[in-house]
Amino acid sequence: MTRLAVVSGGLREPSSTRLLADRVTAAVTDRLAADGVTVSTEVVELRRHGRAVMDALLTGFPGTELEAAFETVAGADGLIAVTPAFNASFSGLFKSFFDVLPEESLSEMPVLIAATGGTERHSLVLEHAMRPMFSYLHAIVSPTGVYAATDDFGAVDSAGGLAERINRAAADFTRLLTSCGPRVRRDPYAEQLSEMRALLGGPD
Amino acid sequence: MSGMQFGIFTVGDVTTDPTTGRTPTEAERIRATVAIARKAEEVGLDVFATGEHHNPPFVPSSPTTLLGYVAALTSRLILSTSTTLITTNDPVKIAEDFSVLQHLAGGRVDVMLGRGNTGPVYPWFGQDIRAAVPLTVEHYGLLRRLWREDVVNWTGKFRSPLQGFALAPRPLDGVPPFVWHGSIRTPEVAELAAYYGDGYFANHIFWPAAHTQRMVALYRERYEHHGHGRREQAIVGLGGQVFMRPNSQDAVREFRPYFDNAPVYGHGPSLEEFTAQTPLTVGSPQQVIERTLGFREYVSDYQRQLFLVDHAGLPLPTVLEQLELLGGEVVPVLRKEFAVGRPDDVPDAPTHESLLAATRTAPDPTARESERS
Repeated sequence: MTRLAVVSGGLREPSSTRLLADRVTAAVTDRLAADGVTVSTEVVELRRHGRAVMDALLTGFPGTELEAAFETVAGADGLIAVTPAFNASFSGLFKSFFDVLPEESLSEMPVLIAATGGTERHSLVLEHAMRPMFSYLHAIVSPTGVYAATDDFGAVDSAGGLAERINRAAADFTRLLTSCGPRVRRDPYAEQLSEMRALLGGPD
Repeated sequence: MSGMQFGIFTVGDVTTDPTTGRTPTEAERIRATVAIARKAEEVGLDVFATGEHHNPPFVPSSPTTLLGYVAALTSRLILSTSTTLITTNDPVKIAEDFSVLQHLAGGRVDVMLGRGNTGPVYPWFGQDIRAAVPLTVEHYGLLRRLWREDVVNWTGKFRSPLQGFALAPRPLDGVPPFVWHGSIRTPEVAELAAYYGDGYFANHIFWPAAHTQRMVALYRERYEHHGHGRREQAIVGLGGQVFMRPNSQDAVREFRPYFDNAPVYGHGPSLEEFTAQTPLTVGSPQQVIERTLGFREYVSDYQRQLFLVDHAGLPLPTVLEQLELLGGEVVPVLRKEFAVGRPDDVPDAPTHESLLAATRTAPDPTARESERS
């Protein structure tokens, strides 16, 4: 079974960011299902963790519900991450969530990036903001992201339309997921311990 | 003194009282710290521990100076630290300072070592925070030898070599101060404490109990692994943080502005949320008793409980009232209740006297050290 985590940074309910997240997730799930893979999907809606994310920034530890969201993400085989574009970047809440997510949570994790915005002009938020951050976090970022402007949701599906772009991104991500296989989670706690044990002069 | 030790630990912060807008001077804060330590003895507490910081708004940059002064004004209180920076202090100076303090205080001294997590402090003392872990291991290895061997020849990576170095004065009665290793959340510290069979002090405050539980369990497991005894016999200390008034609503009302503005957690979660998520207890002495007794449920029977009572800008008279409640109403009950069901083979908190007695019955304590070197 493949465990997919979806992080949606939309601030409104209903949210076009969540709408995009759902469409991308459905496209990925369909492809995996076609390959005979069973998929479990868990969505983390960041709005619901807004205060908890800020508290975690200030106190250094997450509350219970936020910690559960961290587990959802860190325990997944792949992540679909979707943010609204604010001021030529991801939203502050989206960034803050990943700022408080424990280190190594995304190491070697395939990630599909997607974003929404008012106009097409912000589409490079994928390449200039999202991709570098996830690369920094040692994720394996799928080469094709999806950007959806408000107009895309109203347009009739055509060549190069949103549906096609979603399908293309889903195809790339699915291939990446499949070739990466089940993810082995890094354990920084154990790694720190083995470093200390080595310093104290023994393998145990 | 037997069984558990109870006391206080101070960070030594100079913080504006948010209810009056008044900031104590450094001199007032240092004098207040001395008054707090004296009060701790007067109300029957066992331990006073001071932090070590080298930057404003903190005053305790020279802990053994402070503790030496407190030693002269007290007669029973154990003087300790929370923590002494094993990374940025030269181990030779730590060994000297605490040896002198031991002699002055008649053995009422132990030390809690920590790494320090303020990056800019390291270069002020010629060190680099990126090497904090290997630095800790090397410095502590040397410190142990300085306290246990008459003449030390030593080479390492982070300090100039020692040739024929003889520590003066030797530790009182040839017994080094008991060492606790203090930690907030790094598992390395638990491993280090377990490796040497030292005490492990989990800071506990400002963090959810689950973290402390995991660290203490790891320490106990490794303590047994390294052959110092069974896991139940490992030496564990915990921090705690309390504010009390006879009526719990009064405690909440009075403490809230201090909580809301405290540098460590202010402007974040509410007092109620923080109280639920961390060991902070704001309420009546009875509530503090119940919460503290609950610590045993996740760390098992332990040896030392220190409370933080003097931070966030609380004025001195208030802190002294807290100590009256702690010593008068809380600790006597904790002593009694923690003794109930405590297995006979769970060790008492170590003291100079108990360590001295142990050297008279045990084999040469330096044997294990020299096998390693």
